[in-house]
Amino acid sequence: MSDQDLFPYPRNRLQAADLDLAASLQAMVQKEIMDKRLELKEGYEELLAPSLAKLMAEVGLQKMFWPEKLGGEEHNEPAASYTIAAALEQIGRADTGLAFLAAHSLALQAAVAAKDGYREELCAAMAPLFCEGDKSLIVSFVLPAFSEDAGAPLWRGKGIQVKAKSGPDGWTLNGKGVRPTCSGADAGLFGVLCAVEGEEPAFILVPGDTPGLTRREEILKTGLAASRNADLDFKGVKVPEVNCAWRGDGGTYRLLSWYYLGLSAAGVGALLADYEIIKEWGDNRVIKGSGHIFKENPLTGALMGEIAKEIAVDRLLAYDLAGILADPEGYGGEDAFAVFTSALMLVHHIYVSAEYTIHRTMELMASAGYAKEWQLERYWRDVKTVQCYLGAYELAKHDFARWFYQAKTL
Amino acid sequence: MRTIDDFTRPLEYLNPFTQSLASIVRTWADKEVIPYRRQFDEDWEEHNLIYPPGRKLMAELGLQRLLFPEDLGGMGFGESDYAFSNMYILGEEMSRADSGLAVALGVTLWPLMSIALKPHTNRRLLEEFAPLYSNTTEMISGALCMTEPQGGSDIENVEFIKGSTIRTTAVRDGDEWVINGHKLWPSNTGGIADLMGVVCTTNPGSRDPDDVALIFVPNETPGVTQSGPYEKAGMACDKNGDIWYENVRVPLWYRAHDPGKDALFFLDLISIANGITLSFTTGMMMNVYERLVDFVNSRRFHGKPLKENDAVAGVLADYAATLEALRVLGYQAARMLDRSDLYGERWSPEMMAKMRSYRYFTMDRCIDVMGKVMNLMEAFGSDRDWDVEKHWRDIKMNQLWLGGKQLCQVEAARWFFNCETL
Repeated sequence: MSDQDLFPYPRNRLQAADLDLAASLQAMVQKEIMDKRLELKEGYEELLAPSLAKLMAEVGLQKMFWPEKLGGEEHNEPAASYTIAAALEQIGRADTGLAFLAAHSLALQAAVAAKDGYREELCAAMAPLFCEGDKSLIVSFVLPAFSEDAGAPLWRGKGIQVKAKSGPDGWTLNGKGVRPTCSGADAGLFGVLCAVEGEEPAFILVPGDTPGLTRREEILKTGLAASRNADLDFKGVKVPEVNCAWRGDGGTYRLLSWYYLGLSAAGVGALLADYEIIKEWGDNRVIKGSGHIFKENPLTGALMGEIAKEIAVDRLLAYDLAGILADPEGYGGEDAFAVFTSALMLVHHIYVSAEYTIHRTMELMASAGYAKEWQLERYWRDVKTVQCYLGAYELAKHDFARWFYQAKTL
Repeated sequence: MRTIDDFTRPLEYLNPFTQSLASIVRTWADKEVIPYRRQFDEDWEEHNLIYPPGRKLMAELGLQRLLFPEDLGGMGFGESDYAFSNMYILGEEMSRADSGLAVALGVTLWPLMSIALKPHTNRRLLEEFAPLYSNTTEMISGALCMTEPQGGSDIENVEFIKGSTIRTTAVRDGDEWVINGHKLWPSNTGGIADLMGVVCTTNPGSRDPDDVALIFVPNETPGVTQSGPYEKAGMACDKNGDIWYENVRVPLWYRAHDPGKDALFFLDLISIANGITLSFTTGMMMNVYERLVDFVNSRRFHGKPLKENDAVAGVLADYAATLEALRVLGYQAARMLDRSDLYGERWSPEMMAKMRSYRYFTMDRCIDVMGKVMNLMEAFGSDRDWDVEKHWRDIKMNQLWLGGKQLCQVEAARWFFNCETL
C-alpha cells in the first residue's frame, strides 16, 4: 500500500485506465517536477512550462474530451470526472499551480465537448487549438469581479468585466484592465463571460492572438508560479459568431462545476504533499532532548492526526464531487444551479480545510515550515492563492442560501 | 474617514517622547520603505533596496544606539521605565511598513538587551560595544544565536530542557573562552551579523543553569563563518543562515554575566521577544486595515461599495475588533515588561508563560482574520500590489519563530495548570 492509499477514495468507481493514468502521472511528476524542485525552484521557463507541455500535450489532458475525428481522445462521458479527480490530485501534489491550469482546460472541454452537451460547430472550431501540434494550450477565464465602475453590468452582484456586441460579422468585445483567472501573460484561449446589452450574458471564446487583445505587465502574487497572470485589455476584439459557447447562466454553472472539481482535486494533491512532508518530519525529528520522537509526543501526534483526518475527508469530498458530476441526472437533473451549488460548497470546504491543514503543518515544523528548502511553504502559498481566485467565501455562502433557502435578493 | 490612529493606543502607557518617536518612524516608513517594499522579495539575497532604509533609521536617525546609556552616545532606553512601551510603538510603526525590516532592526538590539536593560546591565561590555554602534554611518546588525541543527527549538524550551541539549561549547582557556559549534536560523545572519550573542554550554549535557553561557562574539573574530541567507516564504529583510564557530576565541569578560545569571537573562530575552512580537503583529494589521479600507471603498458588489454589504461588514467587523483588542493587549504586555515591580521579573516562569500566552493568542487571531480578509479581496488578495498578501506571509513567520506555537501552548499550560512533566 502506498502512502496515498492510506487515504480512502472510491477506487471501485474509477476505471482501470484512470488508475493507470494516476499511477503514471505520480511517477512522472516525481521525476519531472518534484525531483528537480530544489535545483529549479519555481522557475517558469526551466521547470513549469516544460512540465505543463508534457502534461497537457504529451500526456494529452488537453485532448481528453474532444472527439477522435477532431484529433481528441473522446473520453467525454460524465464519468470522465473521476479521471479528472485522479489525474489532478497527482499533478496538484507536485505543483498545485499546474493542476490549477489543467483544471481550466478540462472544465472548458467538459462544458463544450462532453457527450451530453456536444456542440458540433463550436468543437470543430476549437478542437484544433487543443489537438493539433505538440504545444500546450493554456486556457483562462474572464469571470465577473468586484468592479470599480458603478455602472458595470452585474452577474450575481459582481461586475461583468467585458462587454460584447453581436453583429453581422460576429462578436465585438471591449473591456479595460480585465483580470483573468490565470495566465493572462501566456494563455492561448480565453473563455470570457460577457455582458450583452439588454440580453442574457454570453460566454465567448477568444483565442489569445486575436487582434485587439493586449496583455499588461505580469502581476506579482502570492503563489501559483505556473500561472503568470496579467490584466488584459479588449479593444474592439472580433471573433466569429460560433465562438459564443452559450448564452445565459446554465452553461456557466456547468463550466464552473467542472472547474471546481479540478480545483478540488488540485487542493487534495497539495494536501497529499503536505502529508508526505509532515510524515517525514514526524518520523525523524527528536524533541525535548533525546528519545522523544516528534510523532510520539501527545500534542504534536494529535495535531498530525488531525492533519490526516482533514486530508482523508477532503479527498473523499473531492471524489464525491466527481460522483455528482458523473451522475448529473441523479444530482439536480436539468437544474445546473443544483450541481453548481454542490460543487461550490465542496470546493470552498476543501480550500478552507486545506488552508487550515497546511497552517497546522507549518506550525509543527516551525521555521522549516516557511523555509523554501522544505517545500511546504509553496503549497501554503498556492492553496491560498487558489482560494483567493475561487472567490470570497463569505459571498459564496449567498449561493448556498439561494439554493437551500430560496433566497431571492442576496 | 477613520484611520489607523482611531484604533486605541492606551494613552496612559505612553510618555510624551513616545509620540514623537512614533511620528518619526511613521514618516520614515511612508517615505523610505512603503514606496519600495513590493520589490523587497526579489532583493532577499543582495539587500540592495533593503539596506538603505535600514541604514537611514538605524544609523542616521540613531535607533541602533537606543539601548546604550546617554554618556556612551546612546538614548538611554535601557534605563527607562518606558523602554518596552516605547519599543512597542517603534515595532508597530516599523512593521506597518515591513515586519521583516522591523524584525531585523529589532533583533540588532536583542542580544544587547542582556547587558543594557536594568536591572542587569554590564557597563564594561556596553563600553566595549558602544563605539561599534555609535561611531559609524553604517547600519550594524546584531544577532542572538540560539537554535542548533539537532534540536530545533529545544534551546528555547528552557523550563524543560534546562540547556541540556546545547552543543555549542565554550571552554575556558586562560583568560579566553574557546567556542565551537553550529547555529541555525538566527535573524540578521546569512552573512551580515556584526555582533552575535551566542548561547553556549560550558558543560555539555548539564541541566545546571550555571553551565549556560551567553557570550558575545564579534563577526570578525577568527573562526566565525557565516553561510549565505536561506530562501524563505517572506520577510526578505531578515536574513537567516548557518553560523559555524571553530575554535573562536574571545575574552572571558565577553560573557554577559556570571554563571547562573546568563541562563536567567536568556529567559529574559525570550520573554521580551514574545512580548515585542505582538507589536510586529499589530503593526502589520494596521497596514492591512489601511489597504482594506481602500479596497472596500473602491470595489463594488451589487452596485454599492463592498463595505456596504452586510456579509462583508461581518468580516470587516471581525478584523477591526481583532485589531482593536490585540492592540490593547499588546500595549498591556509591553507595560508589564516595563513594570517588573508590579508584575514580576521578566524572566520569571509567570511572565514567560504570560508572554507566550499573549503571543499564542495574538498570532492565531491575527492569522485567522488576515486570511479571511485576503480571501474577501478575491484575486486582489493574492496580488502583491495590494500588500495584504505580504503581511499574510510575514505574520505566519512571526508565529513560527521562537519555538513556534506548540512551545507557547506547553509553556502556558505548564504555568497556569502547574503541569510537571510537559
